[in-house]
Amino acid sequence: MSMKSELSRRDFIKLSTRTLLGLGAVLGLGGLIRFFSYEPDQGPPTVFDLGDAGSFPIGSRTIRGEVPAVIINQDGVIVAYSLTCTHLGCTIEKDKESIGFTCPCHGSAFDETGKVINGPAQDPLKALRVETSGENRVIVHTE
Amino acid sequence: MAFHKRIATVSVFILFLIGAFSVSTRTAALAVTSTSTPFQPTFDPTRLAQPPTVMPPAQADNGAQAYWSMCMSCHGDHGQGLTGEWRASYGDEYRDCWQSGCHASDHPENSFEILSTGAPAIIGAGKLARFANAYELQTYVHEKMPFSPAGSLTAEQSLELTAFLLREKDTLPDGLTLDSINSSAVSIHRKTTVPGSEIPSALLMTGILVLAAVGLASRVNQKHNLPKNRPGFVYHLHPPRIPAEQSRFWYTLGTGGLSMFLSLVLLVTGLLEMYYYVPSPDQAAVSVSIIKTLVPYGNLVRNLHFWSAQFLVIVMSLHLLRVVLTGAYAPPRRFNYLLGLGLLVLILLLDFTGYVLRWDEGVHWALVVGTNLLKTIPLVGDGLYRFVMGGGGAGPATLIRFYAWHIFGLTLAVIILVTWHAFRVRRDGGIASAPPDLSQGQQWITRFDLVRREVLAMVIGIIVLLIVSLVIPAPTDSPISSFSSMAGSSQAPWFFLWVQQLLKWGDPFWLGIIIPIVVVTLLGLFPYILPNAEKNELGRWFPRGNRLAQVLTILLYVIILVLTFLGAFSSTG
Repeated sequence: MSMKSELSRRDFIKLSTRTLLGLGAVLGLGGLIRFFSYEPDQGPPTVFDLGDAGSFPIGSRTIRGEVPAVIINQDGVIVAYSLTCTHLGCTIEKDKESIGFTCPCHGSAFDETGKVINGPAQDPLKALRVETSGENRVIVHTE
Repeated sequence: MAFHKRIATVSVFILFLIGAFSVSTRTAALAVTSTSTPFQPTFDPTRLAQPPTVMPPAQADNGAQAYWSMCMSCHGDHGQGLTGEWRASYGDEYRDCWQSGCHASDHPENSFEILSTGAPAIIGAGKLARFANAYELQTYVHEKMPFSPAGSLTAEQSLELTAFLLREKDTLPDGLTLDSINSSAVSIHRKTTVPGSEIPSALLMTGILVLAAVGLASRVNQKHNLPKNRPGFVYHLHPPRIPAEQSRFWYTLGTGGLSMFLSLVLLVTGLLEMYYYVPSPDQAAVSVSIIKTLVPYGNLVRNLHFWSAQFLVIVMSLHLLRVVLTGAYAPPRRFNYLLGLGLLVLILLLDFTGYVLRWDEGVHWALVVGTNLLKTIPLVGDGLYRFVMGGGGAGPATLIRFYAWHIFGLTLAVIILVTWHAFRVRRDGGIASAPPDLSQGQQWITRFDLVRREVLAMVIGIIVLLIVSLVIPAPTDSPISSFSSMAGSSQAPWFFLWVQQLLKWGDPFWLGIIIPIVVVTLLGLFPYILPNAEKNELGRWFPRGNRLAQVLTILLYVIILVLTFLGAFSSTG
């Protein structure tokens, strides 16, 4: 056996051993990612039963903190806007003087229909899907 | 059970039709006494039909049969509860469930009154809200159902009924047979996804590592081309070269390095477990069950942690034995020997605290006995007990304290002592061996070969751990429900069985506290009070110089082993 072939055999073993160890490491990393894929928490609820539609009379604007959302009855049609700021997710507050809303975190301001009056928020407040069930209950979906 | 005879007749007919086999004896008795009456039910009587038998029956199928024969009369055919509509299925004289007094198989003698609130609806959105997981539901069914006589179901039947209810709610996990342990990981209100088997990937990993080990083994002892650069971090942790004599496997048995490796595995797997473990009394056993059942590779991680811990106790004991039997603790290594002994004690405490973190019936009595032992110490015992427990008894504070000791307090101490121990090995001149001038033609191995051997040992270690973890799961038990009731095993963890055996023979303070302390103290004193091996005797087994210590240590080991076996085979109660 020449010196040259002896060396290449050794290099071959060295290379395959390292490849196998690397493969094992990649496999372990994959397992690690799978390990962390389990979520113990269910996340917050996305459907809210806000009770009888009669508690939202025509023309009323009701803030419901559990969603959080403002429920507006416009001439018999109930609409809801999320009160989660579209900037970075703080819960916005009703203005004292106007019927708009201001975010306590970074000062974004929204008018009564959710449009942005003042930045830094870019997007209007999210309009939530509202349905009235057979028993005349108002159901709001945040997703 | 005997709600209506006509309906019973219908049942008998259907029984014949489908050739049913799994009818409870109560239903059979009902069928025998049946005669027809002119009652016309106000709804479709096929709703009362026995559910079809499935071969082979799944757990929930057995539950469906049990529900039909024992629960349906009150809870309804759709789990709607005792509604008016449901009572309309009974004969006229039976419809007033609160007065008819028919609620027994041998009515009227042993009939009973049912609650004025009736039987609740149990299937449907928002039902069973008081139960979080299948274990809680199963326990309730087992203890409280059927209404009379309560507690007459077997644990198996209550699990089958739980599986049936979950299937009706569409929250039964696919491919999981509920048992008293995994049921606590299964939510009642949302469908739980069970990860696939971890065996294929673990076997693939084992295969890859076996091949890598072969490659590594073929390169051990090969001449190494010295790298052009200065050695990297891992190499730098090792001495540039060590005498080949110090690295003979049959001299060191590799127990020191193996202990470090197992500690590393424990550190990593323990860290991973912390992402899911919840140290609160009502959540601990549940979260362990979740790691075992629902987290992908969680069971493997937990088994690796468990087996590394068990092996660590064994490997450290062998390491101690090796050091004594080779006389290696002779000066200047006396102090490092004490550090090692301290590490063994810390690891035993870590094993015990980790064991308690399961907070299930399997550790329940070991915790009670192990901590009550502290109270027997004169003067300080009571204070020590309260310090360990965080109060006057086992509770949430106890679990948090054990958790803090386990994941940080004791672990930190081990990390410091291990580092010190390894440093002292080098400071004291490496592994004990005869002085260089006595060993002729001394050979050396470089740090590169040393690291290669270590990697090989680690790869073999992982392979063994993986295989053992796949074959033998770490123990679990059902959650501790109460500290006043006795359930589960009262056996100590195996590494304290010898103490448990001693405790059977008399005063707990002397046998359970003083003797273990004396054992450790004796071992620690050997290098200081008994003759040591001479310098030129070092580097081989059984030197003449410290024979007395060798004999005494072997004697101690044999006594502890015998006591352990006695404890293992006699204390099952």
